[in-house]
Amino acid sequence: MEDSIILKIDNIVKTYPGVRALKGISTTIKKGEVRALVGENGAGKSTLIKCIMGVEEPTEGSVQINVNGEFCSAKSVLDAAKLGMYANYQHVNIAKDLTVAENYYLGHLPKNNLGIVDWKKLNAESQKIIDKFNLAINPQDVISQLPVAMQAMITISKISVNQNIRLVIFDEPTALLENDKVQTLFHYIKELKEQGVSIIYISHRLEEVIEICDTVTIMKDGEHVETKNVSEVNKDYLIAKMVGRKMVDIYNIQHQKPGDEILKVCNLFGEKFKDVSFSLHKGEILGFFGLVGAGRSEVMRAIFGAEKIYSGDIFISGKKIKINSVRDAMMHKIGFLTEDRRSDGLALSQSVELNINMYSYDLISFLGIVDLKKERKRAIEYQEKMRIKTPNVKQIVNYLSGGNQQKVVISKLLCRDPDILIFDEPTVGIDVGAKEEIFKLIESLAAQGKGIIIISSYLPEAMGLSDRMVIMAEGHIAGSVEADELKQMREEDILRVASTIYDEEVAQ
Amino acid sequence: MKVEEKGLAKRDSLKKIMMKTEVSIMFIIGILFIFASLGTQNFLTSYNLTNILKQCAIIGVISIAQTCIIITGGIDISCGAIVGFSTLMVAMGQARWGMGIVPSIFVAVVTGVIWGAVNAALIHEFKVPAFVATLGTQTIIRGLIKVISNGGTVSGIAPQFADFASSNILFIPKLAFVWGTISVLVFLLLRYTIFGRNLFVLGSGVEVARLNGISIRKTTYAAYAFAGLLYGIAGVMLAARINSAIPTAGEAYETNAIAASVLGGASLAGGLGSIAGTALGTVLIILIDNVGTQFGIHSFVMQVITGCVIVVAIVADQLKKHPIGLMNHLKRSKKTTT
Repeated sequence: MEDSIILKIDNIVKTYPGVRALKGISTTIKKGEVRALVGENGAGKSTLIKCIMGVEEPTEGSVQINVNGEFCSAKSVLDAAKLGMYANYQHVNIAKDLTVAENYYLGHLPKNNLGIVDWKKLNAESQKIIDKFNLAINPQDVISQLPVAMQAMITISKISVNQNIRLVIFDEPTALLENDKVQTLFHYIKELKEQGVSIIYISHRLEEVIEICDTVTIMKDGEHVETKNVSEVNKDYLIAKMVGRKMVDIYNIQHQKPGDEILKVCNLFGEKFKDVSFSLHKGEILGFFGLVGAGRSEVMRAIFGAEKIYSGDIFISGKKIKINSVRDAMMHKIGFLTEDRRSDGLALSQSVELNINMYSYDLISFLGIVDLKKERKRAIEYQEKMRIKTPNVKQIVNYLSGGNQQKVVISKLLCRDPDILIFDEPTVGIDVGAKEEIFKLIESLAAQGKGIIIISSYLPEAMGLSDRMVIMAEGHIAGSVEADELKQMREEDILRVASTIYDEEVAQ
Repeated sequence: MKVEEKGLAKRDSLKKIMMKTEVSIMFIIGILFIFASLGTQNFLTSYNLTNILKQCAIIGVISIAQTCIIITGGIDISCGAIVGFSTLMVAMGQARWGMGIVPSIFVAVVTGVIWGAVNAALIHEFKVPAFVATLGTQTIIRGLIKVISNGGTVSGIAPQFADFASSNILFIPKLAFVWGTISVLVFLLLRYTIFGRNLFVLGSGVEVARLNGISIRKTTYAAYAFAGLLYGIAGVMLAARINSAIPTAGEAYETNAIAASVLGGASLAGGLGSIAGTALGTVLIILIDNVGTQFGIHSFVMQVITGCVIVVAIVADQLKKHPIGLMNHLKRSKKTTT
């Protein structure tokens, strides 16, 4: 019995400062088993994968892989490869300036007797892989010249270079792929299975899970809900189990009667979104929902002047405006809380004071000279008002907790007294207490008559906070839910709209 | 709550280390000073001390400019060459082109600003990394200096002009007063102006700056042109000091300037740097060289020693950047052994 088990996950707990990402997950995977891992965004799937692959060390518990009867755990990615574990990550992870062949054999290029790279052999071997996966490319093509979908296929086919494969993890492998490529992938998965390789397959597309997997593990809020044979489940059952949670009270905020239209977007086109139109009213909270890659953030970044707008119109309070840069958006009183506060929301190495003021220095200065008294006063005012936990405003922002950092970003935006506030994933990586405070704040901002847009991948949050919702899928607006419908809406219904595969031809 | 406390403890220990770097420079300066005073006859003489201050003044002004660039996350390898070019402009202006003192200074400073703008254009418009862009302009400028001066010394500078560099006010050279004034002005610039704030934000990340409505173009041009202005002034000071322009003027100044910045707490990753620290760093760099010479250490050996000091400063900079990573690493290895 022990022999047929390839992976033993034993009571894995992973905590980050302030967040418990995994709360004791246990499961075993057999030899040749194709296991699906499903759950909403933030359920802990990616963290679990990182623990398996040795990228992250679990706080408690262990992951062990059966290597010819002996159970070992990976301490690093290199270790994982030695033990026969390979992962294909959601974001294409590839050396973009090298050729296809070099990427396939990265780290173990074939060498001749002189120790020099054997280019002939390298290209010949690579051609075999390319043929096997039906990729119409040349081994000497440079990755950056190929479309993203092809790059994704290369990372998938790269796995077949390895020998002694025991476990392969696919994290959303089909997100970027077209139909025929998906079939190629499925074919490869079947081939691996026949060789006795075990697979962990993560996907939002539940139809695929049912088509390709033997068993399915459902995760929710870092917990293991259940593991079932795929033959016993269907799509609706999975969605119900993934979501299956009571709407928690923290989302229960006071809603306003929407006032005049404050923002109107008409037929906006950009690199990653097409024909987007919607409107926002004073005092209204508009939810934007979509799966990863649906283009929600890109639309908002475009309205904020951080991404190019190809065509389309933006009206603020009925007046048509042009937004070419962040500065334009700033002047039209738009505030944007970015998805990744650490990479573009905060100047991490600077003080709380500078961060709170950096979006509005023009308002507290004369001829470019900053009024230090006003700067300090404002910083302290927001530190108290937002209850930012910091010994003083001179503290470096990097040393604050996630929740407090987020409060600094919001303070920064409020210093300009914006009319329109866009929150992109406002609660990512922050604890429940701080979440509740941020929701209360959003409530009071709406009460002041500001128009608010909330992007959230976490459906209960998006549904709980919004007056009205817009659902995006693959760069398009796939549907919207009006205020009176939202109450009766189930999460399942919205997920279904969000996972529509957009067919351009049908649309026309 | 526990997480909070941990964060505080981490901050306190870090602050202590930061305090230490600033204090330790003064400490080292103090030790060097005492050693040299007791150990050699010529160190503690008014001649030598004014000489040290004169050297500090020129490198000090260049280091301040370098610090401004390093704060934005950039680096300027061309600083020594621009200084040399400005020196040449002063000498050529006065000796060959029949200019008065003021017009020659003006020309020298303006050319400094122009070279700074050229650097900014390469960095911003053509997305050339700052290191490569300024390395390129450095070579171009060095070549131009030789072309214009025909590879020889340009002398014939107005005597009143050279007098400025050799005269003192109360034992302190006038050049040092220029350094002090510029230090105070740039300190105020960083502390009181939006421009100063923008340098720090830009150094924390280009995207951060862009998404906070800061014009990357304007800030980059302003930073490099401002540095060029200071190099121009340093070039004028150097011309007065050596009473001529030699083709090698300002050579290897970039190493000293970068070292002074980093020793004084600037981080090559950007977002950090202080004027007071830079001034202390400058004094230390110049002092090491002077003391070495006083003790009769061969100049070849001195170069090795100065190089070591710079490497130590850069390693300290790296440790400062990843103290948390290092701590995690230690924690992790401890955990696996238990």
